[in-house]
Amino acid sequence: MNLNSTRIFHRLFLLIVCCGTTFLYAQNTVTGTLTDQESGEPLIGASILAVGTSTGTITDFDGNYSLAVPEGVTQLRFSYTGYPNLTEDINGRTTIDLAFQAGELLEEVVVVGYGAVKKNDLTGSVSTIDEETFNRGAIVSPTNLIAGKVAGVNITSGSGNPGEGPTVRIRGGTSINASNDPLYVIDGVPLAQDGVTGGRSPLNFLNPDDIASMTVLKDASAAAIYGSRGANGVILITTKKGKSGAPSISFRAEGTVSSIVNRQQNLNAEDFRNVVTFAAPNRLGLLGNSNTNWFDQLTQTGYGTQENLSISGGGETSTYRVSAGYQQLQGVIRGAETERISVNLNFTQKLFSDKLIVGASIKGANTNDVFDPGVINAALDFDPTQSVYDPTNTAYAGFFEYGNSLAPRNPVSATDQITNVGRTYRGLGNLDLEYKFDDLIPGLSYKAVLGFDVNSGQSNRFVPTTFATLATDGFSGEFNIGSALRTSKLFDTYLTYAKEFGTHRASLQVGYSYQDFNFEGPSIQGQNLSTDAFGTANPRVAEDVFAFNNVVENRLISFFGRLNYNIDERYLLTASLRRDGSSRFGPSNRWGLFPSAALAWRVLQEDFAAGLGNTFSDLKLRVGYGVTGNQEIGDYQYLAVYQYSDQEAQYQFGDRYVTTIRPNAYDSSLKWEETSSWNVGLDFGFFNNRLSGILEYYQKTTDDLLFTVNVPAGTNLSDRVLTNIGALDNKGVELTLTGVAVDKEQFDLTLTGNISFQQTEITRLDGSGSADIQTGGIAGGVGNTVQLLRLGETPYSFYLYQQKYGEDGRPLRDGVDFNDDGEINNLDIYEDLNGDGVVNDQDLTINEAPMPNVLLGFTADARYGRFNLGLTLRGNLGNYVYNNAASNGGNLSRIDLGANYVSNVHESAVYTRFDRPQYFSDYYLQNGSFLRLDNLSLSYDFGSIASTTANLSVYATGQNLFILTKYSGNDPEGTGIDNSPFPRARIFTLGARIGL
Amino acid sequence: MQYRALLLLFLGLGFTACTDLELLPQDKADPNAVLSQEENYESFLARIYSGLAVTGQEGPAGASDIQSLDEGFSNYLRQYWQLQELPTESSVIAWGDAGLPELIYQSWTSDNQFIRAMYYRIFFQVSQANEFLRETTTPKLDERGIREGFRPTVEGFRAEARFLRALSYWHAIDMFGDVIFYTEEDALGGEPPLVRSRAEVFDFLIAELQAIEEQLPAIGAAEYGRVDRGALYMLQAKLFQNAEVYAGQDRHADALAALEQIIGSKAYSLEENYADLFKADNHTSPELIWAIPFDGRFTQGFGGLTYLTHAPVGGSMDPADYGIDGGWFGLRATKDLVNLFPDVTGEVDERALFYTDGQTLEIDNISEFSQGYAVDKYTNVTSDGVAGSDPRFPDTDYPMFRLGDVYLMYAEEVIRGGGGSRDRAVELINELRARAYNNNVGDITDGDLSLDFILAERGREVYWEAQRRTDRIRFGQFSTNGVWPWKGGVPEGRTTSKIYNLYPIPSSELLSNPNLSQNEGY
Repeated sequence: MNLNSTRIFHRLFLLIVCCGTTFLYAQNTVTGTLTDQESGEPLIGASILAVGTSTGTITDFDGNYSLAVPEGVTQLRFSYTGYPNLTEDINGRTTIDLAFQAGELLEEVVVVGYGAVKKNDLTGSVSTIDEETFNRGAIVSPTNLIAGKVAGVNITSGSGNPGEGPTVRIRGGTSINASNDPLYVIDGVPLAQDGVTGGRSPLNFLNPDDIASMTVLKDASAAAIYGSRGANGVILITTKKGKSGAPSISFRAEGTVSSIVNRQQNLNAEDFRNVVTFAAPNRLGLLGNSNTNWFDQLTQTGYGTQENLSISGGGETSTYRVSAGYQQLQGVIRGAETERISVNLNFTQKLFSDKLIVGASIKGANTNDVFDPGVINAALDFDPTQSVYDPTNTAYAGFFEYGNSLAPRNPVSATDQITNVGRTYRGLGNLDLEYKFDDLIPGLSYKAVLGFDVNSGQSNRFVPTTFATLATDGFSGEFNIGSALRTSKLFDTYLTYAKEFGTHRASLQVGYSYQDFNFEGPSIQGQNLSTDAFGTANPRVAEDVFAFNNVVENRLISFFGRLNYNIDERYLLTASLRRDGSSRFGPSNRWGLFPSAALAWRVLQEDFAAGLGNTFSDLKLRVGYGVTGNQEIGDYQYLAVYQYSDQEAQYQFGDRYVTTIRPNAYDSSLKWEETSSWNVGLDFGFFNNRLSGILEYYQKTTDDLLFTVNVPAGTNLSDRVLTNIGALDNKGVELTLTGVAVDKEQFDLTLTGNISFQQTEITRLDGSGSADIQTGGIAGGVGNTVQLLRLGETPYSFYLYQQKYGEDGRPLRDGVDFNDDGEINNLDIYEDLNGDGVVNDQDLTINEAPMPNVLLGFTADARYGRFNLGLTLRGNLGNYVYNNAASNGGNLSRIDLGANYVSNVHESAVYTRFDRPQYFSDYYLQNGSFLRLDNLSLSYDFGSIASTTANLSVYATGQNLFILTKYSGNDPEGTGIDNSPFPRARIFTLGARIGL
Repeated sequence: MQYRALLLLFLGLGFTACTDLELLPQDKADPNAVLSQEENYESFLARIYSGLAVTGQEGPAGASDIQSLDEGFSNYLRQYWQLQELPTESSVIAWGDAGLPELIYQSWTSDNQFIRAMYYRIFFQVSQANEFLRETTTPKLDERGIREGFRPTVEGFRAEARFLRALSYWHAIDMFGDVIFYTEEDALGGEPPLVRSRAEVFDFLIAELQAIEEQLPAIGAAEYGRVDRGALYMLQAKLFQNAEVYAGQDRHADALAALEQIIGSKAYSLEENYADLFKADNHTSPELIWAIPFDGRFTQGFGGLTYLTHAPVGGSMDPADYGIDGGWFGLRATKDLVNLFPDVTGEVDERALFYTDGQTLEIDNISEFSQGYAVDKYTNVTSDGVAGSDPRFPDTDYPMFRLGDVYLMYAEEVIRGGGGSRDRAVELINELRARAYNNNVGDITDGDLSLDFILAERGREVYWEAQRRTDRIRFGQFSTNGVWPWKGGVPEGRTTSKIYNLYPIPSSELLSNPNLSQNEGY
């Protein structure tokens, strides 16, 4: 930055502070040379400041400087990036030469909410994963960068849908019904928790290549500074900034190939024909003569590419980094694709002898998604003996269709004919101003963050007149055009005061935060098109047009404070307090107080521990307590409101149609979930950190759980209402061990393993007078549930009948009078647990739960010469899965269901021979423990090529390479109710990186 | 100076910062704003009525009233119809949805989703009516500045709300026996309601109907779609007629008195053609005492008449003949319904509305639509043969109460000793039969007048009108007596246990209301 623009910034700053700066007149001039102590090299661009003023200068190419020191100034401060600051008394000298000692104080700094602390000063459970240790490969969603890397953080990849965000659970989540997603904070700007029309994961706009580090605030003492949004942990994402020095240019390009991992679990044509012959020979006439694998018809091998370019650098007082990225990825489902163009700009300028730091960051992305029509379930059901095409069927564009309004539709027709695209433009920007008042009140600084997040999306869906689903329902063609504008404004401001007294160090922070979130999503729908010629471009061709809108807003206002206190580098205290107000709750429950406190003891600093220094390189004991909240329940839920009927739901009085009004169900006393938690941790390192680790125990109690429950009929205005129902306890132990197994010049190997044990139990259920709460809706029938919330049990424990088995080990099939009582009923095939002679809901029994008891993560990083090999293994133990695909599809009566068609059945029907669906049989419940090789990556570093400064490295990565599990369904990972065959992909990536 | 200014700035921001957290939804309305406008009282009342027809605030589906079930399935009339007709000889349905065949077999359990839907629909209606009554008390009207001149209108609305609540409580005790009981006196969000016996609720209903009689419009005076004393007398008659079942009381004289009020008023007359009662222009019928209106444009849904016009169509039936977009291949009649008629074509008795082309009389497999005759009683075509306004959603209205039923009830009450005149009973029945036969060939004489005849004649006149289960229970011919195809889950039919005279309380409700206990046998 040149002098002119510095002046402009200076003036801008003056405007901001509404105050003039007093300049003092120069009296003396001091000159000198700054060098590196070890090498003796001159330090170029080091800054020199006359303490107490804004007068300063920088060193030239030879490390020389000359500064006119204003009158009254007695000290000069010297600073240089990467070196500790030095302050020298002038004492009348006119020449001051200094040799800097590098690195010694370059301690690792970890971002925490509203600031950063030195790693040694951490008191809470905080894990940082940086660029060095990120997962590699075709990563669209940033959270996949840390999958398997942090103990207690379970990151489950979404389906094979490109761009679909993973599910992230930190320490198992704290809620039953409200969101369990952590809060994401990007460069200080907290994101809204939900997605937007036309897009996929809320983090997708961020190019993983632009991320410098991700920090997970796991325990409440760390997360409580985010108050009502901290209960599920916080993930702080810091984007890359420039570094002072010559411009550095990096370019990376890669190509990916994704293939499908799942297999078709319903019958093939031959087997299906045999089953129909056996089970319902009268239906044979409805079968076709083809052999179609509908699953294969809808899946493909997906290809993708990614290119990223970044340029960064900076001078003494300013740094910059700009980057641009392009990614395009096809899904393994035909018709699913995502494309992203992203730009990122980070700029930092130090002014007034580093007293003012101005940071600006803009992240922008354009994401274009193509969505598949979601017919993969239909593909499983469709009769495999029918052919895809029927050239004579011109009304349906030459696809085979039954033409009956209740029959299933040809899924290939949907994939080929329906277009559904989404475009989003996302911009997240923030301006940070930090001013240090060192010369007036040393240690006092002020920071303000102004941020915005704009997400504008549009989706266009078009269904031509030849699409059978609509045509048989009396429509010809349909379109939907939707737009969505989501905006968020943020203003954070806080003062920090740090002071040392003797061996005590303290810093105190107080602040205020305002953030609002607005959403508006108008859309139009058109039906009965006179032509297919215009797609969504000409709504006037629709006979019926409907308009919709959705407008919601919410607001959070907070005051917060934090105290860090360090005694003699041995005892560390962090205490924080946040008061949050949320528009989502009624006046009496609107404000919440979220305190926290944590203590740490660095044992090795004690005199008595002096002897341990040879063995231990680090030993820190931490204890923390905090209260956090959860407010992710949607808006206006506490309010009594009347909802107007639309034009199609009126009621006739005489010859008039009256628009009706309905009072909606609500709970005016709704309040936030509050999680209070304890955390005890031990950080240790042996043998100069060759072996290091963290052991933690936590216990969390979430009170006032929010849940939508069946209220006793008559106590509200609907059958279900969102209310506070009780409490649950969640506790666990986490251990992370990192060992440097080999550390030689040519070969090194680092192994990291993490294991966490977790346990969750409902400790109170009282919100509605309920004893138990049924939950866990399944596919099959309407309103059937297979899970229960019950006092003393893990949430979402399965609630099923105990299946009886025959001597051949098969489950007893329905429709046979096994117990010879003359009646065919559930008594024949399920255990009558209470012995009352009937099998009914009294005989359902509580079972295992979908939540894993143990989470495992293992990473290895090996370097041999220029080769680098990394792998990430991830596993869950004790998670149970209800195979809904089998329970819904695995019965022979499906063949007999429709009037003029037959439905395919799940292969399990051949074994069980169930006639009617046995949704509530525990036969379908299986242990879903698994071990998955998430990521395997090999790279080779060519070093500088052709004696230039350019570096080249190439790499290859495989993702989701194998899974070990006894689960018989498609994939044991998920919600615990496996009813979607949506495939996970196996992805291979080949890429190269060039740096200058 | 700098720091002071900054501090001021900071503190200023801190203290003057926006602390307004009162954000209201922009697409829904605040109760006080809504109910200070007179026209909205009618809109609120209309919502209690529409609870019988639609399923949410968006047609055909959306913003559902109840959430624990598929919205379209859960429609009040659809479930009321299914629970009254499927367990009888009148119908079978082809679909395999969990719990649906069990309704045909009389083998349902407390997990049955259709029973659950009915239960929550009933109490949704009661809750909405109670809320209307809470919000229209004199203090509330005063508070909202409703003028005196509008108060009598509100009084009338309150009577209609109480009628609709009574209707749903009748359905509740008819199907579930002892039920939870709560009124506008119970606060919203309070303790789970207590249980009252079937007889206690029966007594409440009798008293309630008496209390609102004077406040309802005179017989025949109500606007179409709304209730007057005609509907009130009919509901009284239904309750009294079944009083032995509900409360162990002989109230046949009271039933007869209520029926006399309707017949004596001459407010209604029989529709000329039987089939026209169930067509798209049936709102013009002079026979309807109270109908639930449906409309292709303004009152859409997947229950009610949409269900009744679509579910019975399939096979070789041409949907266009019925004014609909496509059949649902579901409902057919068992042969026991068909055999009530002298011939299947309708040539003799025009009430026999069967479609037989490509259909068999016998049903070996209930999921095969071609087995069992289809019934084309409800259609979306006017009496002039013109299709309704939208083939997806019929214009046909549901005849909740009609004069033909009054005549049959009169005759039955005469036989059961409620008084009245046997001659009059024979005369009224012959009016119905003359309409059906288009001559006097079908006329009966006093000697024919028996309870067995009445049960059969009700089978011919009001079949598929959601009466059959209640009728059969009153005649002792539902569970332990009476055999028809697929009763008990076997093709030839068999008797079942008397526990099926009541439906079970849904298990979800038992879990959430500790005051409830399950009906015997479930």
